[in-house]
Amino acid sequence: MKVMYVAGLMAALTIPAAAASAQAVTDPQIAAIVVTANQVDIDAGKLAAAHANNPEVKKFGELMAADHAGVNKSATELVTKLKVTPQNNPTSESLKDGGVKNVAHLKTLKGAAFDKAYVDQEVAYHTAVLDAVDKTLIPNASNAELKALLVKVRPAFVAHLEHAKQIQATLGGAH
Amino acid sequence: MNPGWRRDAVAAVWVAAVAGAGWTGTALAARAPSKAKPATHTVTIDATSYAPARLTVHPGDTVVWVNKDLIPHTATAKGGGFDSKVLAAGASFRLTVKAKAGIDYACLFHPTMKGRIDVE
Repeated sequence: MKVMYVAGLMAALTIPAAAASAQAVTDPQIAAIVVTANQVDIDAGKLAAAHANNPEVKKFGELMAADHAGVNKSATELVTKLKVTPQNNPTSESLKDGGVKNVAHLKTLKGAAFDKAYVDQEVAYHTAVLDAVDKTLIPNASNAELKALLVKVRPAFVAHLEHAKQIQATLGGAH
Repeated sequence: MNPGWRRDAVAAVWVAAVAGAGWTGTALAARAPSKAKPATHTVTIDATSYAPARLTVHPGDTVVWVNKDLIPHTATAKGGGFDSKVLAAGASFRLTVKAKAGIDYACLFHPTMKGRIDVE
């Protein structure tokens, strides 16, 4: 179940990368992808903050909820200022569906199984998001301020990925 | 209002509270600092990094961390010494350097963020 979700999320984020050369993603589409991607991780983070067993996982969930909310606040302010209306697209819809499925799956788990599933998912999610940011979102952003926002938040995603991997290593278990 | 004021107050309390111990210890017992007037240095927090990441100061100088990023960060000395606590976007943290030894610090939230203050 988890594996299926991760694969789905990876596919959602890599579709535009594959299509980028032929079909650029527009700024309104990028705005929808950014806002949805952040919201997905806020929802999962809030769940982990409430339900994780391991204190480090709980703290990480709180951090994800706070950081991605901060990014979304700025992204929303920027697109409002730029008068860009986020436009849903296959990538943002897939992200949204994947996020809903992930939360539903996590809710069926408890204790160490929840912690591991959440952290594994966070590693996969941030890996996929960074790939999309680098290959699709930044290259296709036409507005300079939108591009600058993506460049500014990218290192936070790198930090999140490293942090998630550190926790993943301490949780151990089979992959 | 400058959102840094409250942090400034917190920092001032910290300097007073830990005087005589830890990183600031030697400073209070030390002679008057060199003739140069104390300077204020700014470390900008942006894009999940400190700029400059490495800073050289003199005892008596002040360091101000300003969070210009979109997300919360901290500037927290390794092994204790100082801790900005949570710096929300736009917040700042002011520290008067009393020590004579350098110190490494990092962000508690983002392990990729590392900084150092050298004191000479």
